Amino acid sequence: MKFAINLAQALILILGAPLVRGIIARCKAFLQRRQGASIWRPYSDLAKLFRKEDLVPSTASGVFRVVPCVLFGTTICVATFVPLVQPSALLGSRGDFFLLVYLLALGRFFLSLAGFDGGSAFGGMGASREALVSSLAEAPFLLSLVAVAVLSSHADIAGIAAWTLGQNIFNISAVHILAFTSLAMVVIAETGRMPVDNPTTHLELTMIHEGMVLEYSGPSLAFIEWASAVKLHAMLALLIALFGPWGMATSASVGAISVALLLYSAKVALLIVLLAVIESGVAKLRMYLVPDFLGVASAVSALAVIFTTLVKR
Amino acid sequence: MQLVSIKIGFVFLLVSLGLFAPLVLMAGKAKTVRLFAISLVVGSNIVGCFVASQCFWRESGAVIDLSRFTLFPFALGIDRLSALFLLVICTVAVPVSIFALSYFEKHYDDQRRRWVWAFFSLFLLSMVIVVTASTGFAFLIGWELMTLLSAGLILIEGDSAERGHNVFIYLLMMHAGAAAVIAGFFLFLPYSPGLDFVSMRTASGALPTGIRTLIFVLAFLGFGTKAGIIPLHIWLPRAHPIAPSPVSALMSGVMLKTAVYGFARFAFDLLGGGPWWCGYAVLSVGAVSALLGILYAIAENDLKRLLAYSSVENIGIIFMGLGTSLIFLAHHAPVWAGLALAGALLHVFNHALFKSLLFLGAGAISSATHTVNLEELGGLQRRMPFTGATLLVACCSIAGLPLFNGFVSEWLIFRSFLGGAVLMNTRAPIVLLLMVGVLALIGGLAAACFVKVFGVAFLGRPRSEAAEHAEESPFAMRTGLGLLAAACLWIGIAPGFFLRPLVSLVQVLVPGAGVPQETLSIARVIPWTAAIILGVTIIVALLKRRERVVRTWACGLPGLTSRMQYTSTVFSKPIRFVFSSVYKPDRKIERLPEDQPYFPVNVTYHSVRTTSYEKTIYRPFVEMILSWAHQLRRLQTGNIQVYLLYIFLAIVSLLAVLRFQP
Repeated sequence: MKFAINLAQALILILGAPLVRGIIARCKAFLQRRQGASIWRPYSDLAKLFRKEDLVPSTASGVFRVVPCVLFGTTICVATFVPLVQPSALLGSRGDFFLLVYLLALGRFFLSLAGFDGGSAFGGMGASREALVSSLAEAPFLLSLVAVAVLSSHADIAGIAAWTLGQNIFNISAVHILAFTSLAMVVIAETGRMPVDNPTTHLELTMIHEGMVLEYSGPSLAFIEWASAVKLHAMLALLIALFGPWGMATSASVGAISVALLLYSAKVALLIVLLAVIESGVAKLRMYLVPDFLGVASAVSALAVIFTTLVKR
Repeated sequence: MQLVSIKIGFVFLLVSLGLFAPLVLMAGKAKTVRLFAISLVVGSNIVGCFVASQCFWRESGAVIDLSRFTLFPFALGIDRLSALFLLVICTVAVPVSIFALSYFEKHYDDQRRRWVWAFFSLFLLSMVIVVTASTGFAFLIGWELMTLLSAGLILIEGDSAERGHNVFIYLLMMHAGAAAVIAGFFLFLPYSPGLDFVSMRTASGALPTGIRTLIFVLAFLGFGTKAGIIPLHIWLPRAHPIAPSPVSALMSGVMLKTAVYGFARFAFDLLGGGPWWCGYAVLSVGAVSALLGILYAIAENDLKRLLAYSSVENIGIIFMGLGTSLIFLAHHAPVWAGLALAGALLHVFNHALFKSLLFLGAGAISSATHTVNLEELGGLQRRMPFTGATLLVACCSIAGLPLFNGFVSEWLIFRSFLGGAVLMNTRAPIVLLLMVGVLALIGGLAAACFVKVFGVAFLGRPRSEAAEHAEESPFAMRTGLGLLAAACLWIGIAPGFFLRPLVSLVQVLVPGAGVPQETLSIARVIPWTAAIILGVTIIVALLKRRERVVRTWACGLPGLTSRMQYTSTVFSKPIRFVFSSVYKPDRKIERLPEDQPYFPVNVTYHSVRTTSYEKTIYRPFVEMILSWAHQLRRLQTGNIQVYLLYIFLAIVSLLAVLRFQP
């Protein structure tokens, strides 16, 4: 039963990911006084891309062809580490959050390589900028996870979620607030949202993620887009599991699980609205201000870690 | 029976590397003779692998005591720690020798080829002696031979003035380090009956605290010089790139590890931990080396220099693990000390595999294109698919990505940092927990660095005529590369096989370390992760089949040239910009012709890092010594009466010392 729920969790993360994107786009359209596309639009986009053929640049090697598969594989694997409706996940063991962070890095490593393989300037440009952002984002990412791990004395994501579930919601410590702030900033940088990267533009001055995938088309592009949607959804789910798991099902009864699922949807919706407000409200940062943004995230996460030693003492 | 066969195998390894192979090489010129000698080198290393793995997995050992025949105690023995490092040497030596078969054939004439193989074989022997020595003298003889033979191997490639200068700095630094190591050994003497490891170990309990600390510091400095920790690393980016590629592979992959062996032997086995602050010192030196090493590596465009700096980084990571282990040892937390030590020792093995693979790859590239300058490469993956695939494995491994071996060891070190949380009420927790961030930054920068290496060299369009016409490496080279890549993947996907004996080794070095639970959790989850990723990858690959080859999008222009791609320099620009305080670059842009600054025909750009250890640390030091020497010259008057007076005064003072000695 538990295994079935864990499997269902992973499937929800993977299959529901395009919907999250669709709702974000719709929210942004609403805030910008536009009509906007249907929230199901990402699914029809994917379906359209799957029906097309792959166009491969003449300079491309096998690496270009493998990257969408590897990227999708690693992202699916990341989805199996995140708890959703109950504090456990399909895969997971002590210290699994290091694995999660580095799995994301594995996908990104290959995507950056794909940027080079087209032989144009855009791909290398995207890869170079991604290298900067991701190398600076990794430290605050891990530090904020370490802060909550130390606070809960658990070294796995499911364990941390279970511990937080047992705490009083009004009794959260400063560590939680700092770690949440830092992790939220990292999520924005990692998933390429505003103000670090603009997912809706193809302007060469600004693009990071889009620069690397510029040469892709057809099913390959579909898998890359789907993977980045799953990544965004998994990161939101991670934020919820670590900092707001209240409402997760502690027993395997149908009632508890449906309540947990409803609450989860509400929490994701809240984060989506927050994201849409941020994206509509702030301008994209200049490339060389991104290190400052991530520097603030690093400082905040370092503070979170330092405060754990005070709280625990 | 088993013990006897191990002993026979060990003797065969020593004798065939030290005597047979060089003798056969010198005896005949025919190709078959040379091939026989080379197969002797390969074969004895395969035997060495079996011997080492028997000792490592089955916990048996072998001792060869030659003290009866030598002037001083000379004995070799294999215990668990030696077995690990012997395994490192022999496992790397087999593929490197197979690779070298084709590499030396291509690059040297008959005369030099015989010399290079003879030196190569003896160099391997010297490293085997270092890691299996069980007396101080045997260790020091091996240590010195190792330095001299590697310098000889560098000089075989040529003897220009610049090369000579680099080798001079290499030898100078090595001997300064060796002096510290020798002093470390001799400080044991008043308390220990001899310089064999057994009596040194028993004597270490009786050492006064001051001497103990001094030995520790000397060992750290001496072995740190050989390992290449910053700021003692200046020889490394000079010596490693100019050696022939298979030799660079051995120097970076294996020789640096003998220094880690020496430090682990001193700090853990002989001394059993140091003063309370030593762990923090080792940890912070390691962190600084790793961070600066990778930052220097990113800025390099010469592949072999880049790899040399990345060795500094990895040695830094290893010392971070060792330092963490010492901290836990000092705070009486043996379980976590064991975990950190296991991570450091596994990283030793992993780095040996992927760094020698990378250096061999650089050799394959230079064989195919006659350059290792990244700015002149590109598009090699389509021309050298197998070499490219193996190097991709190496790049992923060194970046510490999951499913590759570098991740497993870095995970263990990360996990041990997290264990700092149990040391509440000491000053350890904050330092160790924040180190997670430092190691994460290092990992992120390493990934950026090796995206650059593989992306610029192997993907896109070729940037030069030579890269355009590159051809796949010959069979022997591919075999060597393939074996190393397979080993990287094996440890990366199924680490449990290797972790179990490693845990037993750690339990020997750190009494009370029962780490299996922590180490096995990674061994359990990694194969599942691999299964999911590979499964999904294969399914996705099968799903998308239709494809059409088209021209790359060029914004509607007629076509792209290779000059329009991102280069290695440009790729690293954002990171160099952010960390510009580390590089303090000196940039020069020249536009020609000068009278038309807005319509230049020719633009040249130079950017040099101006932070230099030679200038800021070594030059003042050398000048200080020279000025002292200058002062001392006043003693030399050239007057014979004055010299007689010196002798007289020396005798009087010696007599006085003898008279008043208690």
